[in-house]
Amino acid sequence: MIWAGVALVVLMALLGAPLFVVILAAAMLGFLATGVPLASAAISVYEITHQPLLVALPFFTFAGYLMARADTSDRLMALTRALFGWMPAGLAIVGFVAFALFTALTGASGVTIVALGGLLLPMLTASGYSDRFSLGLVTTSGSLGLLVVPSVPLILYGVVAQQLGVGEPFTLEQLFIGGLGPTLLMVVLLSMYAVWLHGGVPRTAFDKAALWRAVRAARWELPLPVVVLGGIYSGQFAISEAAAVTAVYVFVAEVLIYRDVKWRALPDVVREAMVMVGSILLILGVALGFTNFLVDAEVPQRIFAVMQEHVSSKYAFLILLNVLLLALGAILDIFSAIVILVPLLLPVAVGYGIHPLHFGVVFLANLEIGYFTPPVGINLFISSYRFNRSMIDIYAACLPFMAVMLAALLLITYIPWFSTWHL
Amino acid sequence: MPKLANAPARLAGALALVETALLVLLLTAMVTVAVYQVAARSLFGGGGLVWGSDLVHVAMLWATMVGAVSAARANRHIKIDLLARFAGPAMRLAAERLTSAFAAVLCGALGWFSLDFIRWDFIDGTPGVGAVPAWVCEAIIPLAAGVMALDYLARAVWPGREGPVEADAGGAAGAPGPAHDPRGDGKRDDLAP
Repeated sequence: MIWAGVALVVLMALLGAPLFVVILAAAMLGFLATGVPLASAAISVYEITHQPLLVALPFFTFAGYLMARADTSDRLMALTRALFGWMPAGLAIVGFVAFALFTALTGASGVTIVALGGLLLPMLTASGYSDRFSLGLVTTSGSLGLLVVPSVPLILYGVVAQQLGVGEPFTLEQLFIGGLGPTLLMVVLLSMYAVWLHGGVPRTAFDKAALWRAVRAARWELPLPVVVLGGIYSGQFAISEAAAVTAVYVFVAEVLIYRDVKWRALPDVVREAMVMVGSILLILGVALGFTNFLVDAEVPQRIFAVMQEHVSSKYAFLILLNVLLLALGAILDIFSAIVILVPLLLPVAVGYGIHPLHFGVVFLANLEIGYFTPPVGINLFISSYRFNRSMIDIYAACLPFMAVMLAALLLITYIPWFSTWHL
Repeated sequence: MPKLANAPARLAGALALVETALLVLLLTAMVTVAVYQVAARSLFGGGGLVWGSDLVHVAMLWATMVGAVSAARANRHIKIDLLARFAGPAMRLAAERLTSAFAAVLCGALGWFSLDFIRWDFIDGTPGVGAVPAWVCEAIIPLAAGVMALDYLARAVWPGREGPVEADAGGAAGAPGPAHDPRGDGKRDDLAP
């Protein structure tokens, strides 16, 4: 009977039932099987009010949506170009840095590819970069900032991992720092690849006046990292408070000062942001119930017991983890991957002696690559649509970048220092 | 479309307005109170509002549920849909009817069983935010679940409908409308931030 229910739930998931419904169904099945009252599902949804960190999500998401509507992408592009454009393969490096920053703010979504990619692609090809390289850059870099604060998946991982409370405890602040090293490594490796391939394209001279103009234009957005991080690391603000201050700051900058976003467009922005937040937090809410069931039923312990019979070392486990996550990362969207897989896999990883922070970084780095893993990574579809190119072109363009990112992933996986040096 | 389908479309439009107003109100309240708490502490040296952070947390729950209702009607909840992606149009419609009916049942169950939970807190007199009891804060769960259940029911009967959020969300993220929908199948999955 229970197995028939499980089969139905899996079938519905594959047919396209909303994920929160699928997890809700799984949780309720589990409750039925273990004699827990079904009201627990609603109680777990209410649980999200007891997670003070979560309040950061609506604030950061709203700020990100506002910036995506404003001309932030133009200003960011001009600034990074003035800063890095003179280097060998400078424009490609501009791309990596700008994409990572913009993705951190707006989430790894189509927005980065559509807004920044639309600007950068013609610039790249006009400056002598090959078409294939340029297309690959704008497609794969659309998820590059996932590990950079205040990326929503990063915060969500922190909340879910802390909720589980396994392994060595860590703070969200430590997680934020932990994501920077691996991102820097990726940007450096990608830049080296760009220099190796296109180091010979004509460079632009460093232009002080252009830099000054770009800094002046972006002067209201430049303090943002200080607003986001300064309060948190100086101990003045909690993360949720820093997020609220960020939302107000971005509102003042984009609506009142730059006037890029009109007042009458605001309800739309709010609704869009809250629809996104609603769908993520509702999944998290029902997933909390499912996690309770998994923990009660000791599912992670059982997985660990079975795994230990076949996988003896930490490194063999990490390899398996990478293979599993790369495959799933192309199919599952990142938020569902976090709320479903982290409660299952983190306790197992901790059993193998892996630090939760290292696990989180490896987990998110895998999903970052999943975004452009052929054949169904979401970035591939967005790029194909936005730049009007065949999927085959996009696949071919992305493969070399994928190789570089996989190399970075291996380094991050087997050298925990990149993510845990500060602990 | 038959006349019958127009009534839900009009109703959906009206509901979208109410939801947008609610969401703007909730987010404004959350931001205002959260920033006031910071200001009260760091500028005036006081403790801020005693119920301030509770209010922000409950407002977040309400915004979550209202946002989820919006997402349900616009067919924008995150999904995997591995099979439907490779199916033809007719199969896809059938899959949408089936999964929507499934979603309607589950949302209905969530709403129904949440009433138990709310009744327990009502009887116990559990405190919520300030003078407001917990059961009032929790009431959004059956309310939103109920609306979503009806919405999915409507989708099971009239599949293939995109809600107004989708229709006028053109510049949602600084992007031209269709860019949200690269596969041309009306599914957004994880496109938005």
